[in-house]
Amino acid sequence: MLVNQFLILAAALFSLGVYGLLVRRNIVLILLSVELMLNAVNINLVAFESMIRSADATGQIFTIFIITVAAAEVGIGLAIVLMIFRNRRSADVSDLNLMRW
Amino acid sequence: MTWEIDYLALAPELVIVVTLLVVLALDLFLTRPNKYWTATAAVAGTALAAIPLVILAVEGENVSMFEGSYVVDEFALVLKGLFVVSAYLVLLLSHHYIESERFYQGEYYFLLLASVLGSLVMASARDLIILFIGLELTTGPLFLLAGWRKGDAKSNEASVKYFILGVLSTAILLWGMSMLYGLTGEITFAGLATATAGLADEPAMIVAVLFVIVGFAFKISAAPFHFWAPDTYEGAPTPVTAYLSVNSKAAGFVAFLLVMYLALPELSEIWAPALWILAAASMTLGNLSALRQSNIVRLLAYSSIAQAGFMLVPFAAAAVAGTNIEEGFSATVIYLVIYALMNVGAFATVIAGANRTATGDIDGWAGLGKIDARLGVLIGIFFFSLAGIPPLAGWFAKFAMFRAVILAGGTATVVLAVIAAVNAVIALYYYARVIKAVWLDDAPAEVPARAETPPSVSLRLALLISAALTIVIGFFPAIATFVGDASRIIAAGG
Amino acid sequence: MSPYFESYLTVGTFAALGAVLVMVMLGVASVLRPTNPTAAKRATYECGVDPVGSGWSQTYVRYYVFGLLFVIFDVEAVFIFPWAIAAEELGVFGLVAMFLFILTLLEGLAYAIKKGVLRWE
Repeated sequence: MLVNQFLILAAALFSLGVYGLLVRRNIVLILLSVELMLNAVNINLVAFESMIRSADATGQIFTIFIITVAAAEVGIGLAIVLMIFRNRRSADVSDLNLMRW
Repeated sequence: MTWEIDYLALAPELVIVVTLLVVLALDLFLTRPNKYWTATAAVAGTALAAIPLVILAVEGENVSMFEGSYVVDEFALVLKGLFVVSAYLVLLLSHHYIESERFYQGEYYFLLLASVLGSLVMASARDLIILFIGLELTTGPLFLLAGWRKGDAKSNEASVKYFILGVLSTAILLWGMSMLYGLTGEITFAGLATATAGLADEPAMIVAVLFVIVGFAFKISAAPFHFWAPDTYEGAPTPVTAYLSVNSKAAGFVAFLLVMYLALPELSEIWAPALWILAAASMTLGNLSALRQSNIVRLLAYSSIAQAGFMLVPFAAAAVAGTNIEEGFSATVIYLVIYALMNVGAFATVIAGANRTATGDIDGWAGLGKIDARLGVLIGIFFFSLAGIPPLAGWFAKFAMFRAVILAGGTATVVLAVIAAVNAVIALYYYARVIKAVWLDDAPAEVPARAETPPSVSLRLALLISAALTIVIGFFPAIATFVGDASRIIAAGG
Repeated sequence: MSPYFESYLTVGTFAALGAVLVMVMLGVASVLRPTNPTAAKRATYECGVDPVGSGWSQTYVRYYVFGLLFVIFDVEAVFIFPWAIAAEELGVFGLVAMFLFILTLLEGLAYAIKKGVLRWE
């Protein structure tokens, strides 16, 4: 099976995610960008799986693990956003400049 | 369908799992003044996890489970031992610190143990999925722990920076892994090692390997992907910083080395130059930035970046030269183990010193050796050991590093060795600066504010254990050589 | 034409048919129905909630915690599906393992309940 179109889609999504991560200043939108990147990886894996058709559906199992880890990470991320928001009433990362990068 | 599951080989992980579930349950039923039982349970559980490790080490049998995806061999046991010991020391450091500042206690130990579990899994992981799960389990709880001082703006910032860079590196790493899977159809290290043969010229493969390297470089805070580390280290509570710079860094290193060494040995012409650059850049940037620091934790943060560079040197040199690669690998692991033990000690002295002087500024520590001679001596031990002065453990790490580089030979290797030697001298300067402040500078006129609080028993115990290990390994490097041999076995057996 | 493009042709055909169908239905309806617009009828229907104020309103922060809990438990269920497919093959061992997995999740739920996250005052 031809997988190029899926790989291009995934690469585009991944690049969008990187762009969003670098440009956006709101933490929630940064989180969304990261989700975009992780889901691009998922598309990659599922596409490769449909090409390779391994005996144990390895690519799909990997995808399941990525989905769960991504959910846990969003949970952690939102918890951090809430903590920041309670302390400074803003979710803007450019406010976080107490220490030099 | 059934698998052969060797429960003894899994016992350390199982003990930690049970412990963390018990800690969380205890936390629900205990009231405020009795919360310290969660700490007791966590410390006891971690100590208990060492027992099956010893039994397994004495038996000395290699166990391979789940079609070779999960392996318990000498190499894994040595690293698990390191993770358990350093976790135990960090728990001792945390105990008083967490109790004294009214943090959430049960959750703290729960999350810390979850992270320890992740690093234990990582030492045994021999396929990409398990490696990924282990890596995420190690770093995930630390995003929260870095922000454990909830009201503190710096701690919040530490948490956010660590989180954003952490998930970014995860995504990059996963992208590389997905390409590896797509190009080879393999997920186990052994399978990848055979399937990648002859693919070193494939452009997609080069991209995949570089993505994997960048992902890991973020995790181990190697320059030029290190900029999150100083801020996170400074903002996080100090015991968490100790854990970050020791346990989580070591775990990231182990994963990195395993993937490069076991899964992609055929592609060393792609990753060896990249590792060479990472090593040289981390040493140089880390050391030069450390020179300018006035805060002790920030200094240790940059020092740990530089030490990551030193750790990469033997492996990168051997890989670039293409000879004696198992020597390089074992020297890197020796360095990693010794670094972890002495760095925990250094952070323990930072906690004790900050407790004594109520400041984290190096200038504020002036004359500390005269106020508290024992603490001054300990600071001397750990910082001289980090600098690599004999007869403390650090010298053997540096010795093993240079020996492996010399064994490897070749021009690029010699250049790297020269860079490492220059950096070792620079590093000596700023480590010595701390010791100079503690011993040679005059104490400030007024007595430091919190001088009356004695260090807690657990902190003393942590200092004692890490100081003893640092000195003993320095005098009897055979212990560390055993570690090196264990990693050489993995080289032979695959 | 290759089978690859043929499958896309099917998609195109169905898309065109769907568009035509909608246009025909709406066209016939507009000819047949009586037109008698009032202000209430023209309002945007929002799940029974009166559309008052701007679209950018703040959501109560508690929704976050509920949403979070839902997402985490929902996603963990994904591990149950592969097990369910192979449950017969895996036998008692698989059953015990799955029970342990769910018990671990239940401890998380118990934690959430005890911390009062699920109470809505």
